[in-house]
Amino acid sequence: MAQNTELYNSIVNGDAKKARSVTEAALAGGVAPMELIQDSMVPAMDEVGRLFEAEEYFVPELLLSGRAMKSAMELIKPLLSASGQKMKFCVVIGTVKGDLHDIGKNIVASMLEGGGFEVIDLGTDVSPESFVAAVRDRNPHVVCMSALLTVTMPSMKLTIDALKTAGVRTQVKVLVGGAPVTQQYAREIGADGYSENANGAVGLVKNLLAGDAA
Amino acid sequence: MPVGADLVLHEEVDPEFSRNNGAALGRVIERTARRWKTPLAIPLMDLRLEKIDLLARIGVSQKDAEIFQFTSPLDRSTLAALTGRGASYSCPGSIARDQALSYIASISALFPIGMAIGPFSLATRLMRDPITAAALAGRGISPDDSDDVRLLFECLRVAEAAVQSSVRSQFAHGARAIMICEPAANTAFLSPRQLKAGSDVFERLVMQPNLRLNAVLDSLRCDLIFHDCGELMDLMVEAFATRLHPVILSLGSSRKLWKDARLVPSDVVLYGNLPTKSFYSDSDMPVEEVVRRSEELLANMKACGHPHILGSECDVLFVPEARNAILAKVDAMMAVPSTAGCSLLADS
Repeated sequence: MAQNTELYNSIVNGDAKKARSVTEAALAGGVAPMELIQDSMVPAMDEVGRLFEAEEYFVPELLLSGRAMKSAMELIKPLLSASGQKMKFCVVIGTVKGDLHDIGKNIVASMLEGGGFEVIDLGTDVSPESFVAAVRDRNPHVVCMSALLTVTMPSMKLTIDALKTAGVRTQVKVLVGGAPVTQQYAREIGADGYSENANGAVGLVKNLLAGDAA
Repeated sequence: MPVGADLVLHEEVDPEFSRNNGAALGRVIERTARRWKTPLAIPLMDLRLEKIDLLARIGVSQKDAEIFQFTSPLDRSTLAALTGRGASYSCPGSIARDQALSYIASISALFPIGMAIGPFSLATRLMRDPITAAALAGRGISPDDSDDVRLLFECLRVAEAAVQSSVRSQFAHGARAIMICEPAANTAFLSPRQLKAGSDVFERLVMQPNLRLNAVLDSLRCDLIFHDCGELMDLMVEAFATRLHPVILSLGSSRKLWKDARLVPSDVVLYGNLPTKSFYSDSDMPVEEVVRRSEELLANMKACGHPHILGSECDVLFVPEARNAILAKVDAMMAVPSTAGCSLLADS
């Protein structure tokens, strides 16, 4: 499959207007939506992730590229829905109860979308019950929780406990993150994974799901 | 940083009452300073107050203010209401803050310090995606070409007015120094890639508003304490230290203060910077590690000869189930200077 270099570059360069116009032209020219995602958009976000790990890109560049990707996806999503196509894996993400911070969560959501996942963003101040409801209603493969305050971190454990009580814990992988969160804390509360940054979250989600598939 | 004030506040029978009652809050701040034997009466950190008071001017309730964000450029009447000299509003927390300052100012053994969120950090809390807007501005996109950039600069303008108003009120109630907290002025919000390429976005968004604020403090003969606990570039530390020239520069645990000393004039005291955000966890940060890091920091600062106050990287919030763990580490940190035979002042 041929990569659309213009689309690839516009996402890597964080040019939302260009990404949208190139996508529009490609779709009008008969290129299949999923082909654009798989051959151009996901590789572009992979490159963005690589640049972030190499400390050449930083959070602002991640957001600009995510914005460019989203701008292109706005044209593609309706076409996928109409044809019944879906992304292979679905992730539910939210900032936990009592916490209103959303920047980190938004970056992760953006990177996950860029990584080819369907992302359901529950927003901020999300109660354990809301996470459980989302798992029941949307059947995600992964639940990602974010907390930016030490005082709200306990909500992560409460949510994991709520998933267990509801009998849906084993249906999902649970990832946690946020400034005060640590690998040790993630282990203590029974999460499946922890990432200290957005790019790491995408890789971790892929690894966890690959591990399940193996 | 007020690691002590929040912990002491939660020893009150009704912490929320005391937070919003000037007399009670004043006593909390006094007890904090005396408990950890410092003349610096560092206030309770509550960086919501300026946003609450600002948005009250356009009828946003205190309850809604916390989550309220502008989503599009402001119309003229909103801008005028937010920046005008009309009736200002002080929420209970702001009134308590000011009354507590008056109380502290009456105690000769204590140095009354006020606190306010910095203009850039407040601006980021007024809009949904400040990072993208800053990144676009950093690429040279002007407010005329982008609603995001236009909104960012409008939010910055109203934020600057709000912070100046807060600072003047605190000074009028007895503050002799104001701690300006700019946690958002960091490399998550401002791209090092852009700054290294010569973008003036840090100058326009952070330095210029803070320089104007500093001029206000100078006119009042009120000292500046500048706090930024985020991940920073050297050029940011140097700019804060040399151009704002605070009496105290407080930095987060990502910085090595003894290395930062080369960037900081010798008459600017460096403050911090134990990783108190992880004090809640005995597995991640046992007491022994707190002691080791405190000793290492003190020794390194003594070796480099730069004035330093040992303290926390930021506020340590009260975590109910970890209260004892946190207190044990704060006490251990504060005990190190005397056990190490160190003559430097330690502060919480």
